[in-house]
Amino acid sequence: MSARSTDSKFRIQPFLEKWGVIVAFALLFAVSTWKQGFDFLNPENLRTLLNSNAPVGILAVGMTLVIVSSGIDLSVGSMVVLSAALGTTAMNSLIGNEWSEGSAVALGALVTLGAGLFAGAINGSLVVFGRIAPFIATLGGLAAFRSMALAIADAGEIRSQSSTLFGVLGRGGIPLAYESTPVVDATGEAAAPVFHGLLNGAGKPLTLPYSVIVFFAVAVVAQWFLSRARFGRQLVAVGANETAARYAGIPIAWVRFRVYAVMGLLAGVAGLVQSSRMNSVSTAQLGLGSELDAIAAVVIGGTSLRGGFGRVWGTVVGVLILGMITNILTISGVSPYWQGAVKGAVIVLAVLVQRGSRD
Amino acid sequence: MANSMARRDGALLSAAAVTVDYPGVRALDGVSIDFRAGEIHAIVGENGAGKSTLMKVLSGSVRPTAGQLRLAGSEVAFTRPSDAIRAGIAMVHQELNLVPTLDVAENVMLGREPTRLLGVAIDRPRQRARARELLAMLGADLTDDHALARRAGDLSVAEAQFVEIAKCLASDARVLIFDEPTAVLGEREASRLLALLRRMRDEGRAVIFISHHLDEVVAIADRVSVLRDGKLVQTFARDAAGAIAGEDALAQAMVGRELGSIYPAKGEALRQESGAVGNAIELVGFGARGRSSGISLAVKPGEIVGFAGLVGSGRTETAEAIVGLRRREGVVRVDGREVAFANPRAAMRAGVAYVSEDRKGRGLHVTLSSVANMTLPSLDAYTHFGGARVDSRAERAVAQRWIESFAIRCARPDLPISSLSGGNQQKFALARWLETKPKVLIIDEPTRGVDVGAKGEIYRIIAELARAGLACIVISSELPELIGLAHRVVVMRGGTVAGELSREKLARHDSDERIVRLASGLSEEKESHA
Repeated sequence: MSARSTDSKFRIQPFLEKWGVIVAFALLFAVSTWKQGFDFLNPENLRTLLNSNAPVGILAVGMTLVIVSSGIDLSVGSMVVLSAALGTTAMNSLIGNEWSEGSAVALGALVTLGAGLFAGAINGSLVVFGRIAPFIATLGGLAAFRSMALAIADAGEIRSQSSTLFGVLGRGGIPLAYESTPVVDATGEAAAPVFHGLLNGAGKPLTLPYSVIVFFAVAVVAQWFLSRARFGRQLVAVGANETAARYAGIPIAWVRFRVYAVMGLLAGVAGLVQSSRMNSVSTAQLGLGSELDAIAAVVIGGTSLRGGFGRVWGTVVGVLILGMITNILTISGVSPYWQGAVKGAVIVLAVLVQRGSRD
Repeated sequence: MANSMARRDGALLSAAAVTVDYPGVRALDGVSIDFRAGEIHAIVGENGAGKSTLMKVLSGSVRPTAGQLRLAGSEVAFTRPSDAIRAGIAMVHQELNLVPTLDVAENVMLGREPTRLLGVAIDRPRQRARARELLAMLGADLTDDHALARRAGDLSVAEAQFVEIAKCLASDARVLIFDEPTAVLGEREASRLLALLRRMRDEGRAVIFISHHLDEVVAIADRVSVLRDGKLVQTFARDAAGAIAGEDALAQAMVGRELGSIYPAKGEALRQESGAVGNAIELVGFGARGRSSGISLAVKPGEIVGFAGLVGSGRTETAEAIVGLRRREGVVRVDGREVAFANPRAAMRAGVAYVSEDRKGRGLHVTLSSVANMTLPSLDAYTHFGGARVDSRAERAVAQRWIESFAIRCARPDLPISSLSGGNQQKFALARWLETKPKVLIIDEPTRGVDVGAKGEIYRIIAELARAGLACIVISSELPELIGLAHRVVVMRGGTVAGELSREKLARHDSDERIVRLASGLSEEKESHA
């Protein structure tokens, strides 16, 4: 690879345009390892890093699709809180009505996903049938959906009434260690359990969180749809040149509507993951500002804000880069007030490096 | 010395042996021409004759490969349009360049706003007064306070044109270039504009006037120059009696006399079969609302019908209305059944395909690969599981099949289609619609921006498709193409059918002149089937 980059000067730019996000990721990873060593590489830290960024990651994947269609969705954070607030409220009232915990949690989850889908469909209708610019239509959603969530809970917190099941998605996971058969020693007392594999600080098995699995699964499916499915091809065509797409007989309205609906559904998924992890919904805080994080991840990942070109895998790396920055700054004890400045610089830098890739 | 010579014979602006080479094409070939103060000099010629290139040279947006420009006797070299404007040469473009959100007065004075407070603040009263003065000079209605405050975006095309001309006057232009100013105007507005051109001339400016409408040219030009294939063919001047060369002489000079052999034999099969076959597509009193109307036409399978007419005569709009891209009026029947397509998708399903004239903006996605472009209209045919998977192998195979059958030069179908030449792009644009198995193919400007070699191949393809039973409507501004390819030609003018040339009339030697006459309004005779 070094031979290629020393070939001639003008090959560096195209290389960075395409692979810059990977280079940035590798550099950040190396710097983090060098500066913090085990504090950073510690499996538990990596798990936390992935886990805490999964909800924004799910949003960013949806945002990639929206941006490929040359749209934008500013309302994702508000859709997260509204869907989670509705779902949790529904679940609590079912539990209050003596439903079994299992069915209450399942129905609550469905309400969360359905609310997200519905909110997204509203955005899509405004953009497609109302012919409102996506920026404006979803700016309305940004304000309205959050305000509804605040009204539901009087701007307070909705605590989940489910004692165990509701938290499984957000906190549970697949254990990355197994327990060896307890050995009974001569005194007849059971020995302390022995684990083989990755353990956390408390000596318990480390888990691969379900939320992270959901994040990656969503990303894989979205990347598949973008590059292999008809819907993805249509998104790219509409985003690259809407007029040409219309002339080619593509149902533009239906394509646009669907991408906002899918975005809403994914906001519902993110809302479910978040509320499950917290086991409550803070209507004032949940999802606040996550539209910016999601858009930033998409941009860092190399998707063109002009539409017509995008890559979900780039967005996933973008999410990890943003997460790593926060992570490393936090471990290093940098004031959270400064973290925004560093993030901002990285976003601008990413765009500078990748600029011109679509001219 | 040269200076005074120039003044004596009145040449304000002149071009000497100007040649312009574009990659692969010589757009202008040693053209020498002069424009005098106090004269309207019309430039006519077919599309591609080099008119717009000449205007671009004069207005500073294209630098000639060879030759020179003289302004009032001294040599000038413009490197950008603002150089020409500063020298007093202003061009009124076909597509108007007003700022839609600014008002009339602001647009007229754009870039030369009168200021006060040491140049910090715009002097609105003086801006208005000056704009009013200029518009009044033009005889425009836009001089009261209310009109001056209207936003340019709300103006009609004719009004916007007045504002555009006032803008040129604000820059003290001595040479005014009008590129098809009447193409977008109605008859009354056009005659007002022509009166304005005369006034500009009488004030001693040099007026350069490009038009396809020969009747206008004959009516107002003091001299007419004819361009063909990048060369100046002839310049006609008014004789002592004030008459300019006959319209026929103009039309003849424009068209020239060569119809090459790049046109394939017209399908004879059609004549034997067509009697028994119903119409593939039939229009009755059809039109694109606001752009064309009252068009009745039937095309049989295997027939190629040409659509001739000037730019703006409503040909493209009519075609777009057929496939549901514009609001329509009247009736369309496909295979005898009345249809009303909501969009090109619906048209495609019923077997009607439209290949756009605007490859870059509408016909193709230039940033996408050749394969993706190729399969976009027919994508459903390559998907499995309800669209969840596009079979990329099948896609590549179909692209490869067309690459072979159309001899498309495309080594890497996975690269953006913009990497191909115009001719090869056009073949893909055609192939993508043929892949939808249409019964009716409407193809708009099939060879625009296509090199001569590929032109012949595209003609051959269209002729073969027709022989195989496809009903083709070919819209073209190139007369030889229509005459060489079509079984009959419908001529449009001002949004409706001005006449039709049957197969027999097309075969006659004066068919091109007839078309030019019909299209430019010199002759109102209706040509009928009989």
